[in-house]
Amino acid sequence: MTTAPASTNQPGPGQGSGQGPDFAGSSISSEGRVPIGPVIGILIRRGLIAITRIPAAIGPILIMPIFFMVAFAGSYSAIVAIPGFPTDNILSWFVPYACVQGAAFGGMGTGFSTARDIESGFYDRLLLAPIKRISLVLGALGGSMVRSLLPLVTVLPLGLILGADLPSLLGLALLTLTCVMVGAVTGLWALGVVYRLRSQRSLGLVQVGIFATLFLSIGQVPLAVMQGWLHGAARINPTTNLLRMARQGFLDDGVTWELTWPGLVAGTVMIAGLSLWAGTGFRKVQQ
Amino acid sequence: MMARRAVVGFFRQPSSWIFGGLFPLLITAVSASAFSRATSLQGFPDSTSFLQFLLAGTVLQGVLFGSINASTDLALDIENGFMDRLLASPVSRVSILVSRLAGAATYGAGITLFYIIVFAVFGARVEGGIGGMTVIMLLMVTMAIGVGGYGAALGLRTGSAEAVGNSFPLIFILLFISSAFFPVETMSGAYKQVAQLNPITFVVDASRHQVLVGFDISEALVGLGVAVAFAATTLALALTQLRRRLADTA
Repeated sequence: MTTAPASTNQPGPGQGSGQGPDFAGSSISSEGRVPIGPVIGILIRRGLIAITRIPAAIGPILIMPIFFMVAFAGSYSAIVAIPGFPTDNILSWFVPYACVQGAAFGGMGTGFSTARDIESGFYDRLLLAPIKRISLVLGALGGSMVRSLLPLVTVLPLGLILGADLPSLLGLALLTLTCVMVGAVTGLWALGVVYRLRSQRSLGLVQVGIFATLFLSIGQVPLAVMQGWLHGAARINPTTNLLRMARQGFLDDGVTWELTWPGLVAGTVMIAGLSLWAGTGFRKVQQ
Repeated sequence: MMARRAVVGFFRQPSSWIFGGLFPLLITAVSASAFSRATSLQGFPDSTSFLQFLLAGTVLQGVLFGSINASTDLALDIENGFMDRLLASPVSRVSILVSRLAGAATYGAGITLFYIIVFAVFGARVEGGIGGMTVIMLLMVTMAIGVGGYGAALGLRTGSAEAVGNSFPLIFILLFISSAFFPVETMSGAYKQVAQLNPITFVVDASRHQVLVGFDISEALVGLGVAVAFAATTLALALTQLRRRLADTA
């Protein structure tokens, strides 16, 4: 396999426009294609730059989780007194939830970027570029996962300053892992929808899916406190297992394997299922 | 005629009222199940169910969301040039504003009645009977006009429907830092102090009293006083912005 600097003979799409990814620094294989790794890296970087260039993109990832954390902790501060509540610190309950929520909306942001590219016709240029097409999906997915970490560097410190209990390192690692998994899950869900409907308006459907999944889980109160139909819905909702895994480091009982493995299984199964959803959608967008 | 146009135009676009109408019901369905055991907490009023407790907050939530959507139509009139045509015609300038607020008020009355019926179906009725329901209706229509006035002021100032739509989070924040979802008595610290001063708390508490306890004119007057003051303030703002726009156009 021989490689040559792409800048001399294969300018990438968007090069020089100041908007698209610049593949010029990547080497090209003998088949005339840029290797998958650098392309994914460039697409992830492009997704992150979009956050700084479009201020509206920051709201759902950073501002909304902070607002919900403060609003829920303020309004519902008394619920920790209900027997069966696993902590007496309301912020310790809602801070991990706010981080996971921000991670979920980070994944949705990737859907927005992709929909914008499809509507503007830029995605067609990406499809014609000398790159492996799967890297477009993996780049977007990588962008989701990196974005999902942003709430951890904003919401979490603020929550700790306001009074949430400091989790153990293992608890922090599990929260981080959950956020990355949730970013991947919502990113794949958003991509699957956007690839099929090819419009920014379709993101309304993505939002409804994310909100419904989060609301119908143990986001606000634990299963032991719930009553009625929500208890049944939250019990079978895989997001419940993810939230248990994310929260355990902040709660009185600490980290246990019993609360960790169901979260790992739920996250893995959701990512596998939604990979299929996004993959079949990507086939449609190529047609 | 212009009020009729505003009302018909609003209801002809289901996307502008379906979300605002159904989202509060979804939140209520989840909250009623999640927090039903919270009624045993100290500071909670002696209500028969959490669903009954939530009635007032849910109605106001629906009214606020719908009213802000209704007021975006005024900004749309500016964006698409219809406002300029109105200004060139021999119509009263104030009627441009009043007609749009009529849309918000009609929606407010309609959604209040709809929610009261839905809650009654699920067993949460208004203990204050017809008198209590009338008070709730008056409070909600006044608040719809108030929020409509705020949206109209913003629309007239910016001429952008997007700007009016983006003010939605502010309404959401005001609603959350109030007694709409949990009683102020169960809150603590600075959050409690802000919630106690929030005008939405006064309106929700006045409505809630009609739902949980029964018809009470003194409670109603407190809530109505705050709601009227809120509406008068936002209408004054909207009129100021209308005059400014007319001066700019002249």
